[in-house]
Parts: sequence; C-alpha cells; structure tokens
Amino acid sequence: MLEIDKVSVIYDSSQLFANLSLTIQHQEIVALTGPSGSGKTTLLRCIAGLESISTGSIRINGQDITNQPAHLRNIGMVFQDNQLFPHLTVGQNIAYSLKIKRVSKKITDQKVREVLSLVGLMHLLDRTVINLSGGEAKRIAVARALIAEPQVLLLDEPLTGLDIDLHGRLLEDLNKLLRTRGTTVLHVTHDKAEASAFADRVLDLRQLIS
Amino acid sequence: MATIYHRSRAVNWLAIAPIFFIFAFIVAPVLNIFVSSLQFESLNLLRTEAIRNVVWFTTWQSLVSTALALTVALPLAFVTANFKFKAQRLTTSLISMPFILPSIVVGVAFLQILPNNFHRTAFALILAHVYFNFGFASRLISARWLQIHPHLDDAARTLGASPLKLFTTLTLPLLSKAIANAALIVFTLCFTSYGVVRVLGGPSRSTLETEIYFRAMQLGDVSGAMLLSALQVVIIALLFVVTTKASSKKFEQSTRPTITRQIPLQTGRQKIVITTIISSATAFAIVPVLAIAFKSINTDSRFTTSAWRTVFTNPEITQSIAKTFTYSVIAMGLATLLGLLCACSVAYNNKFHFISGLTTLPIVISAVSIGLGIIITFDTQPFDWRGAQLMLPLAHTLVALPLVMRIISPVLQAIPDSLRQASSVLGASPRQTWLNIDFKIIRRAAISAAAISATVSIGEFGASSFLARRGAETLPVMISRLLSRPGDSLQSQAFALATLLVMFSLAMIFVVDSFAKDKFIRDSHA
Repeated sequence: MLEIDKVSVIYDSSQLFANLSLTIQHQEIVALTGPSGSGKTTLLRCIAGLESISTGSIRINGQDITNQPAHLRNIGMVFQDNQLFPHLTVGQNIAYSLKIKRVSKKITDQKVREVLSLVGLMHLLDRTVINLSGGEAKRIAVARALIAEPQVLLLDEPLTGLDIDLHGRLLEDLNKLLRTRGTTVLHVTHDKAEASAFADRVLDLRQLIS
Repeated sequence: MATIYHRSRAVNWLAIAPIFFIFAFIVAPVLNIFVSSLQFESLNLLRTEAIRNVVWFTTWQSLVSTALALTVALPLAFVTANFKFKAQRLTTSLISMPFILPSIVVGVAFLQILPNNFHRTAFALILAHVYFNFGFASRLISARWLQIHPHLDDAARTLGASPLKLFTTLTLPLLSKAIANAALIVFTLCFTSYGVVRVLGGPSRSTLETEIYFRAMQLGDVSGAMLLSALQVVIIALLFVVTTKASSKKFEQSTRPTITRQIPLQTGRQKIVITTIISSATAFAIVPVLAIAFKSINTDSRFTTSAWRTVFTNPEITQSIAKTFTYSVIAMGLATLLGLLCACSVAYNNKFHFISGLTTLPIVISAVSIGLGIIITFDTQPFDWRGAQLMLPLAHTLVALPLVMRIISPVLQAIPDSLRQASSVLGASPRQTWLNIDFKIIRRAAISAAAISATVSIGEFGASSFLARRGAETLPVMISRLLSRPGDSLQSQAFALATLLVMFSLAMIFVVDSFAKDKFIRDSHA
C-alpha cells in the first residue's frame, strides 16, 4: 500500500502543490489526471525519490520512505520518453536492475526471457535500442521496470505520442500485463478516456489537495 | 547529407583551393620527408641509445601527463556538467585559458613559478603539460556529459543504481568515447610538445620534437631530423588509427537533451566540495599567468617598468611585434577562408568528405615537422621560397586550419536543409540562399574561428623556429632568444613579451566565448 500524507513541494519559494494526500491499495491501479503544470510528474518523481518534498511523508506498506534515496526504494518508473540506456542492448537494458543487485547470470537470463515473452518482444533480445519503434521502446521500458518486481510502478504519461491504433493496443496489453502480475500502479495521464479505460480509480490531482 | 547545393557546380570549385593548399603545403612536404629519410644509413640513427632514450622519454612523459591531465579534468567536467554556480562562465573561461596560451608562454610561466632545482626536470615538463591540457580535456568531456539526458540517470536510480553504480554502469560507458578522444588529443599534444620542452627541458630533457629541431638547426643533420620526423608521424598516425577503431563501436548520442543536467548547489556539502574544486582549478589556471606578469615588472629583485619600456622602444622588438601581428592577420584571413571552404565542401557534397580527413593532417603532423617539411621542399628552383616572408603565415594557416574547420563545420552541418528549401521556394537563388541562410547562421562561428586562428598564429613556435629569419622573428622566437641570453633585464623583457601574448590570448578567449555558440543553434534547442 502506498500512502502519501500531506505532501507539499515548494520550488524557489513558489508552491507547486501543498498538503496533497493519496492512498493506493495493494494491487490497485490508480490514474491521476490534471492540467499541464499542476505537478503530476513532480508527484511521481517525489514518490520515486528523484525529487525531495518540502513537507509531509510517503510510506510504502507502513514503512516511511520519505528520506530514502531513490535506489533503495524499489519503486519502478516508466518515463514519458522511455529513457532506455542507449549503450546497452534490449536484453541488457531489461537485465540492468538484476545486474545491479548481482543476481546470478542464469537467473537473470531466465527472468529477462520471461519478461520479454510477456511483452511479446522475445525476438528483440540482442537488438540495440537505438532503432526501436515507439511501441517496442515503450514495451521494453515497461519490461525493464517490471523485472525488478517493484512495490509500486509509476507510469508517467506512458502512451503519449503513439498513434491511435498503437495507443489502443498498448493500453490493452499493458492493462492485462499489470493486472496479471498484480502490480500496484499510479498512472499519470492528461487523457481522461485513457485513464478510465485503464484504472480502477481515476483521480484529479486538484481533488487531492486539502 | 544531401542539400540544395548538392548539384551546384560552384561547390566543386569551392573544394579546389583547400585541397590544393593542403596537398602543396602538407602532403607534398611530408611525402618529401618520408622519401628523403628512408635511406639505409640514416636508419642507423634509430639504433643509437641516445635516440632510443629520447623516444622512451617522449612516450612516458606523454603517458603520465595525459593520465594526470585526465585525472584533474574528470572531476572538473563533473562539476561543470552537473551544477550551476556563480560566475560559471567566467570560471569556465579562466580554466580553459591555459589551452589557448602559446606553448612557450606556458614554459616561461613554469620557469618562473618553479624553484630552480625543478628546472630541466621531467616533473616540470609534466606539470606544464597538465596545466596546458586539463581545461581543454575537461571542456571536451563536460560537453559530452551535458548531452546525457538527466532522465537516464533517474531511470538507473529507480532501477536500484547507487551513485557509484550509476557512474560505473551508465555515465562512464556513455563518456568513454569522449574520454578516449580527449586522451588521444592530450597525448598527441604532449608527444609533439615543443615550446614547453624547449624552455623547461633544455638540452638534458629532449623529446622527439626538440630533437628534430636540434638535429636540423644545431647539428645540421637534416636527414636525421627527417627520419625522426617520419618516425613521429608514423607513431601518431598509428595511435589515431588504433584509438579511432577502438572507439568507433562505442555509442555516441548526438542529440541534445531538452532539459539541462545542471542543477543549482543545494546542500552545504555540495557547496564546499564544488567551491573547492572550482577555486583550486581556477587558481591553478591563473597563478602561472600572474607569475609571468609579476616577473615582467621585476628586474634584479626590484619593481620597474624598464622591461616594458624596452619592449616598446627597442626597434628589434617592436619590429618583431609588428611582424607577428601582420603574420597573424594574414594567417587569420587565410585559415578562416580555407576552413570555410573546407566546411562548405564537406557539408554540401558527400564526395568531399575526404577533406575532413585531410584537415586532420596538421594535428597528426607536428608543427616542427610542418616547418621542416616546408623548408626542405621549397628550397629548390622554381620553388625556392625558403626566405619568402609568406611562408610563415602559410605554416601558421596550416596549424590553425583543423581548429577552424572543427568550429565551423558542426554549425554548418546542423543547419536543416528545410530552411534552404523554404528560402528557395520563396524565390531566392542558391547564392542568395547561401548569403541569407547559411552565412548568417555560421558567421558567429566564423568570427570565433578567426579569433582562434589569430591566437594560434601569434603563439606558434614550432614551425616558426624553422622558418623565422633573423630580423623577422615572431614573438615566441624572440622570447626564446631573449631567455637563452644571460641577464635579468633580458629575462624580464621575455616575460613582458609573454605577458603581451597572454593579454592577446585572453582577449581572443573573450571573443571566442562570446561568439562560439551560434545564436541559431542556441535558440533551436531552447
């Protein structure tokens, strides 16, 4: 369970949002909408530990992670522009977190194949990431985040910029994949239709501020 | 890249002048060196212990200098690429200053700040080489670091990478090509360093470069000098081939991120560490220069402006100043024009890509070898131009050409052809399109390139040592001559001239930093 309690973010003495509270249950998928510049991405970055909050607290399964560095939080994040590591192959990108944790090569290989099969891209295992299509890159980014078995997965407008057909297919595949694995998800999007189709609950960021 | 000028005949004509120039003044002289040096009896020179020692010393001092320069450059690159701090532009310019200083000035500076027992030691040479190269290496690495999208770091952190793991698994592999390139250039510059070694090494610490000069000009052993010159060219060329091949497979991201990596200093610890790194580097860059200025007003342990008065009244010295600036104006004009022609030829027609490689030759072939090549090639009728005054600015043009090309070419190649197409459909002829689109975009880079070539010409010492005639000496040659003669007042005059070179170089840095980033390029990434 993810609990965000009265979190405020202040930049250079101007307040982005204040007293924001949100609770997401285990295995729940929540979509967060809101106008541009309202702080949706910043909230995700604060949960991931990539930015500091000014006040409030963030807890996962009861444990306070407010001051924990990003690499110790075990929170997965899929970025809007994927951010696949350009010097690594598809397989190496997906295996990255396991390599960091020094998981044995045998188990790593097995898990990489497993997760690549789940996203239907087994044939790209040894390909460089430079020339992947938008849809392929997105699936690889999701696979890379999922292999670490994060406690919470944060999706930052993951389907922005894809054409309508691909958007619909990927939304469906992603929904199926995350529900099968029982992943807890906070999905940020400006597209209300996408939010409704994807999530158990749809919230507007402005409603979360007390 | 196909451009609207692709089919233009004028592009073919543009390429003729630079190709002719490079072949006449680089390729032909170097071929002449190789052909003339490959005589069986002169090859014996390579077996002598003295030459083996020179090769060994040149190699190890270059390796150590490169390793130390990169060790200083890497933390500096980390700071400049990742943080915003007060007076960042000024400090970055100051840290880059040593690289633009004439090599003889660097030698003179360390002669002044190091105690006498350190003169003519490997330590002095290495320290001066580190000083000369650390800012440049840092700038090269920092530029690449700035291209790494900060969200890549974020992605690695959310996947469990600690700061150290992030550096070793992501940053370092992405920087490896830039580091390898910086190492290659720094090693080459240390290997072919001339001014610093002439001033600080003396006869006891000779490198291949000074040995070539010594053999040709002092011993009259021109064939021995040519052999050493050929050996040096082969070593550097091999190094370029090996390093380029090794790093060609490494990934290089060419796009700039849409958001900056640089963040303001936040924690007290950050402020202390970054301030310490920046102030140490700035002090390291400034102190030797201040030492030169100090010595120029200090003769026989008392403060006096006599050295400066002599510099501006002694006809021999004033003539040298006038000659140096005249040569630099000619070299600046020629190098900028030829560099512009090269860059246009390469950008507008794929078949001229080889020109890019040709303009690398003056980096691989040292200035001393260029001077030697010119002197042995143009000494017989109908090309007996050894004594011609134009040979010096021509040699300076060659030394400056690779830099000019590398400043203008990226700006020209970054212009989207769609801009030219838009101009064409609005009724502009190719000539009008070039003047209104290409030229307007590259003119700031061309001004930077002109400033750099003037600086290179004014401080050039290697080729000038061969080509400058008595009575028409350039400032670096004059400084070297004054330093070689006894007497504190002559030494102070040398330091006053060195200060003059520093002042000119600083003015040029200001021009380069003001114009280096083309407004169009800056705006398109805003």
